[in-house]
Amino acid sequence: MNIKDLLFKLSSLDAVGNITAASDFAYGILSKYTTAEKMDNLTVIGFLDGKSDYTLMLDSHIDQIAMVVTDIDNNGFLTVSNAGGIDIRTLPSRMVNVHGKEIVPAVFCATPPHLSKGEESFEDIANIKLDTGLGKKAKEIISLGDFVTFSGKCGELQNDLVYGRSFDDRAAVACLLMLAQKLSGKKLPINVAFVLSDSEELGMRGVRTAAFRVNPNEAIAIDVSFGNGIGIKDEECGELSKGGMIGISPVLSKVVSNKLIAVAKENDTPYQLEVMGSHTGTNADMISINREGVKTCTLSIPLRNMHSETEILSLSDLESVCDLLYAYIMAGGVLNA
Amino acid sequence: MLDLLKKLCLLDGTSGSEDNIRNFIIEEIKGHCEYKVDNLGNIICFKKGKKRSDKCLMLDAHMDEVGLIITAVTADGFLKFETVGGMDASVLMFKTVKIGEITGVISGKPVHLISKEDAKKAPKTDALYIDIGASSKEEALSLIRLGDTAVIQSDFTVMGESVKAKAIDDRIGCAVLITLLKEKAEYDYFAVFSTQEEIGTRGARVATFAINPDFALVLEATTAADIAGVSEDKSVCNLGCGPAVSFMDRATAYDRTLYNAALNSGLSVQPKRAVAGGNNSGAIHLSCEGIRTLAISLPCRYIHSPSCVANISDIENMIKLTKYMLNGILSGEIK
Repeated sequence: MNIKDLLFKLSSLDAVGNITAASDFAYGILSKYTTAEKMDNLTVIGFLDGKSDYTLMLDSHIDQIAMVVTDIDNNGFLTVSNAGGIDIRTLPSRMVNVHGKEIVPAVFCATPPHLSKGEESFEDIANIKLDTGLGKKAKEIISLGDFVTFSGKCGELQNDLVYGRSFDDRAAVACLLMLAQKLSGKKLPINVAFVLSDSEELGMRGVRTAAFRVNPNEAIAIDVSFGNGIGIKDEECGELSKGGMIGISPVLSKVVSNKLIAVAKENDTPYQLEVMGSHTGTNADMISINREGVKTCTLSIPLRNMHSETEILSLSDLESVCDLLYAYIMAGGVLNA
Repeated sequence: MLDLLKKLCLLDGTSGSEDNIRNFIIEEIKGHCEYKVDNLGNIICFKKGKKRSDKCLMLDAHMDEVGLIITAVTADGFLKFETVGGMDASVLMFKTVKIGEITGVISGKPVHLISKEDAKKAPKTDALYIDIGASSKEEALSLIRLGDTAVIQSDFTVMGESVKAKAIDDRIGCAVLITLLKEKAEYDYFAVFSTQEEIGTRGARVATFAINPDFALVLEATTAADIAGVSEDKSVCNLGCGPAVSFMDRATAYDRTLYNAALNSGLSVQPKRAVAGGNNSGAIHLSCEGIRTLAISLPCRYIHSPSCVANISDIENMIKLTKYMLNGILSGEIK
């Protein structure tokens, strides 16, 4: 499978709460190339042994933003709460799937412009009801606590840009799966643990137990970050098609950041820097304080329209991230730094 | 009927760019009636019936839908746009569009990068743009032209007893007209597939002048706000309760005889319970020396969004009521 097909497949599957489709699929691939295990709900870990007892953990999160049903009325309208960061302003008229006893297509209510005057309040997601068209029957098929996910499909734009849902963080999952294939059967200077972690969108929960399980010496969290667009300042974003964004931040290991930069330069792999004044908002914040502390860095894929169902990225950036991580591992990470 | 509606809804045709719809309709009605296309792109059809009434009646449905028009390209290759017809930015943001064969995504600042205050307010259309993946202005302009139109893509989905699609306003009217034109008619009548409704009911104005009928029936879709969180008195009309007829909206005070005849038809029909919106009736009833006009509208939730939702039984009942009114007027039973 090429990286685009892999990404589109991962995007088409759901992984949130008790819905494990994307996680199961990734486990199937990871177990071909690594010694793979399933941890709790969604978390999957794949181990590749190297020539030392030094372990590098590569993390991407497998979960996605979603919503959860909190009320069902007699006319087939649902109230939902967010599970992860949802842009409430963009819900009206959006199609979703409700994961009840069967998958139910539903649409978020939109006030028509003749009546809204464009002055609606988007303070509370509970005010925007979800229409299932099922009437009374909704209560037979849907239960409180059922998950609701965006239903958008992937597609291609010009050049090598693609759009779709859950690219945050399936883009990174796709990179790690490609990397596992590339590293499989190679003699590695260090151990590599591929972690596809649960519940990042609920506050970096899954990676805590996963990092404890792996007990790495160093780690790189691969996630998405803001891509350029109109009204977004240069210092807030990376540019699409210019390579992975190597993180520099007080919470990150400068040793790892510097080594990533050095390896990228040596191999002529495109990269850009992402400088953050404090927390990174990624799993790196959590991994770095695992057990007795872990040298941790971020490597981010620039992504436009984050947390929408039309997230946009450049496939070349996925290749760059994959190439950089491959060279970094072959160079032994910061084992001897 | 649903299959015909599906085909019509999946075609793209914003106001002033109705070509795809017009071509499809002509293929459908060819051989079933006489027709001509006028200077504004309206299809004016004459259907021969078994009998000829001393009254002249025209049916109207508009072909155009709301959409976007490309107004500028930035140095980075992003497209700026204006809306064609009324659409709120909250239904635009992060949707996919087709500009002819080119795919784009309506983009804007992600919620993480705006203030907490702004995150609670409706987005503004002028802050949005279309990303087609072009890397420069030159590349973008090699693919699209300023003035090209864009339509949000939305599939046709059955949801319980309803269907969800874009452009039910007013492809439902087109579907009903095509269905009637394909059937044998009792009386002669005119049917107009009109252009430019969403930008000021312009096509219907000139088509009505050309026909100068005694009566007009406008087949439309209208707002249904029978949704959770909206009180009954503001729901306008309800899905599953039949087509809606209106006594008055912001463009027309409807002919009360026709309105009462529809309500007393014994068919599934409901009054529209609001004085809101407007449609081609506004232009038609003031044409020539004045035309007696009624709008028969399919109740439609989330109208002017890419996800219009309408009830399947209402569609069947809309055809029944249209036939009842058409034959009732032409036979002289409805005076």
